[in-house]
Amino acid sequence: MSEKKTKRKYRYRKPVNWVFLLMLITAFQIFCACQILLNGGEKLNDNTILIVFGSYITVEWVYFIAFAGVLRRKSFEVELIAFFLSGIGLALTTSVYPDKAYTQLIAVFLGIAVFIVLLWILSDIDRVIKLRIPIAVISIAALVFTLIFAKEINGARNWIVIGNGILSIQTSEIVKVAFIFVGAATLESLQSTKLLTRYIIFAVVCIGLLFLMKDFGTALIFFFTFIIIAFLRSGDIKTIFLICTGALMGGLGVLTFKPYVAKRFETYRHVWEFADSKGYQQVKLLIYSVSGGLFGLGLGNGKLRGVYAATEDLAFGMVCEEFGMIIAFTVLLTFVALVVYSIRYCAAARSSFYAIAACAASALLLFQAALHVFGVTDLLPWTGVTLPFISRGGSSMMCCWGLVALIKAIDVKTYKRYDKIIRN
Amino acid sequence: MKSISRRAWVLYLTAVAFLCGAGFLLYTFFTNADSWAMKKANRHIYSSSSLTAAGTITDSSGEILAKTTDGKREYNDSKDVRIATMHIVGDPQGYIASGVQSSYKDVLTGYNIVDGIYDLKKYGTGSDIQLTINAELCKTAYRAMGSNKGTVGVYNYKTGELLCVVSKPSYDIANKPVQSINNDKTGEYDGVYLNRFFSGVYTPGSTFKIITSACAVDNIPDIENRSFKCGGEYKIDGSSVKCLSNHHTIGFEKALNQSCNSAFAQIAVELGTQKLTETVQTLGFGKSIKVGNVNTAKSTFDVSNASKLDLGWAGIGQYTTRVNPCHMLTVVGAIANGGASPNPYFVKNITSPDGNITFSAKTEMLDTMFTQSTAAKLNELLRSDVENGYGDYRFSGLEMCGKTGTAEVSSEDGGLRPHAWFVGYSQREDLPLAIVVVAENGGSASSVAIPIANKTMQKAEKLFS
Repeated sequence: MSEKKTKRKYRYRKPVNWVFLLMLITAFQIFCACQILLNGGEKLNDNTILIVFGSYITVEWVYFIAFAGVLRRKSFEVELIAFFLSGIGLALTTSVYPDKAYTQLIAVFLGIAVFIVLLWILSDIDRVIKLRIPIAVISIAALVFTLIFAKEINGARNWIVIGNGILSIQTSEIVKVAFIFVGAATLESLQSTKLLTRYIIFAVVCIGLLFLMKDFGTALIFFFTFIIIAFLRSGDIKTIFLICTGALMGGLGVLTFKPYVAKRFETYRHVWEFADSKGYQQVKLLIYSVSGGLFGLGLGNGKLRGVYAATEDLAFGMVCEEFGMIIAFTVLLTFVALVVYSIRYCAAARSSFYAIAACAASALLLFQAALHVFGVTDLLPWTGVTLPFISRGGSSMMCCWGLVALIKAIDVKTYKRYDKIIRN
Repeated sequence: MKSISRRAWVLYLTAVAFLCGAGFLLYTFFTNADSWAMKKANRHIYSSSSLTAAGTITDSSGEILAKTTDGKREYNDSKDVRIATMHIVGDPQGYIASGVQSSYKDVLTGYNIVDGIYDLKKYGTGSDIQLTINAELCKTAYRAMGSNKGTVGVYNYKTGELLCVVSKPSYDIANKPVQSINNDKTGEYDGVYLNRFFSGVYTPGSTFKIITSACAVDNIPDIENRSFKCGGEYKIDGSSVKCLSNHHTIGFEKALNQSCNSAFAQIAVELGTQKLTETVQTLGFGKSIKVGNVNTAKSTFDVSNASKLDLGWAGIGQYTTRVNPCHMLTVVGAIANGGASPNPYFVKNITSPDGNITFSAKTEMLDTMFTQSTAAKLNELLRSDVENGYGDYRFSGLEMCGKTGTAEVSSEDGGLRPHAWFVGYSQREDLPLAIVVVAENGGSASSVAIPIANKTMQKAEKLFS
């Protein structure tokens, strides 16, 4: 009886008014488009902007109308956040690299497709269980393939480049979704030691391969996610503590015996002393972030965009400078909102798979955002990870939408028609 | 699910840690914003580490000293004005820390954490600054210094407005002689990036006798009826303080008029370490004066380990005593103004790009230096100096009060020539101006410093009365 009551309480939590919020988000995106038009240089083709923003806003509304009007779904908090963040990323890319605007637009559309397909896959828990072993095998195979054939970009071998740079894929991004999918699914069935051991082996292999690729940032993200999943499953804080201590000591060992790894972090907390060498990206980021003030200089008026890899590595600073600190810190709050969302729906989830997947996915996004934001601003060592949704890049965009699907699946309203919920 | 939901606190913990991090980041942004935004790597403001986009700087009469046109920084048309006002305007590279282009660059670029450099983007400029400095007066003062290095400062001792601040050597900011400055071996450009008025300290020599007199007036009741023996020198502990001539027996006022070292060494020894130290502390030694965003160098006076002989030397402004010219100006300003000097300032008002006056200078007082009666007495003495010592004809029509100083900086014969000082002020109601002149190694104060002071004050009289 008491359980039923709890369920009811969660089921009827009033969803946010998506029409109003979507109108706000659309207005913001139109405003961005206008700013790009106003401030754009000669490189900019006005048609590009109209097509990019026009089709993005159309897809946005079509999605909402289809799901709310036709499929009679009710809650859209997660999508609102994803569309808001993707819109910022799209605006930055269009403004800085007009020639790459279409690529980014397609990446977002692919991301939305991934989101819808994944939601469909997730609707059936048996299908999920069946898929977990193939996905685990494919993930590891993809990582191994990457390690062998990848091209080294910026010191990390994590890029598969196909056809002379027409298509480049970062497999570690795709595997992020698989990592949570496999983890949550493996632990879904009866809690046997065998299954847990298998998952630990899978995790160790993934993280190990990322280490070999020298992609420390992503390895750290995987490790953090693993810890979250393991704790949610077992509730055993002592074991988690043990794993963390072990990893910390291992990390210290690596730093001691492989000085070149430590050298990567020599600028940490000393970026101003390396302002002309290794710290120059971060120094520029700090200078231009505060130059934007609270309200920003306007899209296209920034100077940080001129710095190497600004739309990827320094995305947070670009948001600060051109959109202002208020929007930049709002972006940070949206990642917290996703975590809170997952926690609030935990108790009402259909099975532990959904609960763990949503919590792990939102925690992963938050952790990655933290590594990015606090890394570039020199509060944490800089690992060069991207800011979810906002940094330019196709693989990471699809990964983010995939993770959002995992978060979205926790809410039963995702799969139930609004009129049915009312009748219940 | 319930068990998982119970374990979700670990996620709350992560979220809280993240929020703390974000809060800390915001805090670091707010506390460091000013210094980060003003870094030379900021291409909104600098181009090849030179200030480009910034507000206009004008002098008190509205003459443009610096402005930005089409993303280029331009300066006054007259080369003489550019050179004479260079230190107060400051250089675009920021070598001259006290220059307006350095010390007020956040104002000139319109930067603040709320709007960022939005104004600069919108208007192509930040706020405009009008100075209290008069370019014409600076030009005259700079020319009057001739071949001497040093500084001239003039301020209104009733309001605190600085009308003239020049520092020599200087250079033409529009055509900076980079090669000559970098390869300078002759000393022609010694300390060229230093505004000597705010940042220099010099041995004060006989100008310090004003301070010794102040202490004597306060602490020796019958000082005016005293007489002192001078045999061309004053013997202490087997050595002596030399005097420029033999004044035989001399009274207090005459001793100041003729700048008798023997008399003042005796007075200093009689006053002793404690009394002198108290006086200099009241006068603001050891503290710097905040002139807008610029802090002056501190004057120093330390006789804690001085022998009797040292104390004698200290009483006539030698020994280890060093005085900042701006500080010395406020000391005579306080005498002229009845005991307290206004805080000097050089920024008259600040106008934001949309035309609003965001700052207007107000007169603020420094700590009182003298009692009214002491100030009145010193005023008489300094007037008597000019009347009976140097002669009024040397400051024709100005009703000047003041004191010269020829500060020895080398103990050997044939060493560096002494610094030539003059500090003083006009008593005229319509000309409430005080002046300080320091000509480094200029030689005799009477023949070098007085003419510089006179030329500058005569020009000021033409301009302002």
